[in-house]
Amino acid sequence: MKPCLLCMKSLTEVPSWQSFFGLEKKKTLCDSCSNRFKRADIKEEDAVLDAVHSLYEYDDAMRDWLHQYKFLQDIALAEVVAHDLRSAFSREDVIVPVPMHPERAKIRTFSHVEALLAAANRPYVQLLRKTNPGVMGEKSRQERLEMENLFALLPGAKVEPITYRLVDDIYTTGTTLRQAAAVLKQAGAARVEVVTLIRSVQK
Amino acid sequence: MNKPFDPAVREFLDGRIWLRQHTPFPMETIDAHIESGAIGTILGVTRKKGLFGQAQHTCNRCENTNPDLFTVFHCLRCEGPCAYCRNCLQMGRVSMCTDLMVWTGERTEYPTDHALAWEGTLTVHQQRASEELYESTLLARPHLIHAVCGSGKTEILFEPIHRLLSTGKRVCIAAPRVDVILELEPRLRAAFPSTTLEALYGGADVKAFDAQLILATTHQLYRFRHAFDAIFVDEADAFPYTAEKTLQHAVRKAVKPGAPIHFVTATPSDRLIAAVKKSGAVSTIYRRYHGHALPGPRYQPLWNYSKQLNKGHIPKALEAWILLRLKQDEPFLVFFHEIELMMKAESAIRKLDDRIRAVHSAHPDRKQHVQDLRSGLIPGLLTTTILERGITIKNIQVAFVGAEQSIFDRGALVQIGGRVGRNVNHPTGDFVLFHNGISYAMDSAKREINRLNAGGETP
Repeated sequence: MKPCLLCMKSLTEVPSWQSFFGLEKKKTLCDSCSNRFKRADIKEEDAVLDAVHSLYEYDDAMRDWLHQYKFLQDIALAEVVAHDLRSAFSREDVIVPVPMHPERAKIRTFSHVEALLAAANRPYVQLLRKTNPGVMGEKSRQERLEMENLFALLPGAKVEPITYRLVDDIYTTGTTLRQAAAVLKQAGAARVEVVTLIRSVQK
Repeated sequence: MNKPFDPAVREFLDGRIWLRQHTPFPMETIDAHIESGAIGTILGVTRKKGLFGQAQHTCNRCENTNPDLFTVFHCLRCEGPCAYCRNCLQMGRVSMCTDLMVWTGERTEYPTDHALAWEGTLTVHQQRASEELYESTLLARPHLIHAVCGSGKTEILFEPIHRLLSTGKRVCIAAPRVDVILELEPRLRAAFPSTTLEALYGGADVKAFDAQLILATTHQLYRFRHAFDAIFVDEADAFPYTAEKTLQHAVRKAVKPGAPIHFVTATPSDRLIAAVKKSGAVSTIYRRYHGHALPGPRYQPLWNYSKQLNKGHIPKALEAWILLRLKQDEPFLVFFHEIELMMKAESAIRKLDDRIRAVHSAHPDRKQHVQDLRSGLIPGLLTTTILERGITIKNIQVAFVGAEQSIFDRGALVQIGGRVGRNVNHPTGDFVLFHNGISYAMDSAKREINRLNAGGETP
């Protein structure tokens, strides 16, 4: 039995008929760690993004999770949010992850948005590429808003006049997502709806 | 063979095992040292085929081999399946495509001039144990100091450590808990004023990487390899040292090959005693430094305490005990087996005196509350087992609520009882076990205390 992914305490399992028939949800966290995660389900929209659904707020639990996942490169933590992320999509959705610059992805050893979707077991298509290796988190709000477009279509990518669901880990100012959505819309997408894991409200 | 090197790099790396990407030095400096042979590299995680062809991973930093603590994923750096260790993840991720560095150049020569500024005198028992410990150090065999709570264990170490330092040896005192390290640091700094000393724990601000005397939590020893000429493991029976094999490996890895590991504890497990006896020696001290006997536990039933506390009532006997402490102005600790019950009890008990507080491992003001209890601002604390050891407060009185709970094993009960009567002016005190039925551990603890008081003979 694997221990809790966050506190590393061993998970105690209470035998039940559900677990006997293999119907029980796979547990990755102990009860006290999983209680820290509170769903917020924030929904909003603006001129470019036709709908934005954020699953969690940027609270202490999510800050710790994101730090360990992205900066300590603990890809195993994708499992923690996989179930919730999976439920945010339906089977017919065409999912487009926000891409990472290949150089950055190589340093991190994995692409964090794609790894989340893979853990959630949702197929995705990559239509975009990142044009420069800069990091959003290191820029000020002003710098972010003034940036040139970060994304371009992948060579050979075909954009249909349908609804795309764009996925990113965190929605702060929305610049990244709006720029990615603009590229898709220019290429002919009918609607771009966004699913992000975390909504960070700047105070 | 003299390899040229940058002394700052040696200061940082000698005795350590460190991630190649995580140093304060530029990449070119590190590369040049690897080129010249002053730094050797080891693969972070190695994989070999198991008996049935399954992959078996080993982390070369923390020596973890538990398959549940490795994650295998498709790595974009080494472009294939890669594994990383989750056991020591917080110290920077170690994977199959990361390098660890060790110092292979000329070793550091440490100063041999050290002052021992401790002015107290050892009791006859302490003196004997101290000499036996030093003898074991010379013979490079493990040694166990089994000394009752409040017998002055730390002072026993001073003389042997001083003699080791004076021959240019590097020494480490390790303990499983941060609290113990924080308590030891000022005492050792005072005792060894001219020695470079560093305390290492999660979040510590490290200045002297090349310190000759190092205090460290056992976790921090993951980062050392063949560094010390002797390690003293204080409170060797405390969680998580006994529970986690990798911590025991870490200690073994941190000493130089053949160098001894010594243990100091008041409540050694039978297994530890047996292991040390096999190849080393044991010194036992039955008397506290002030010569008085250990206070024995007193049983008092507190039937259905959890039901009453959950309803917000304080059981009569407990209420009377706390009121008596408040009246006599004696500081007290009440131990609980779980946080939830303790928090419920806190709101009820604070009606008796609003200054009473509760602390547990995740409590933000934990250090402050303990400090307040010491200085008399707070009359008493409710606590979980985090305050089981390393806390010395004059005239403290101790009660358990639910002493029969399985979390309180013999060691924990003896340790906690050992908080009572440590001061020469207050050599006794109340040590009461409120229970809902007497457990084997309670009887075993009582027997053990009686045995120690009788000088090691079963009365």
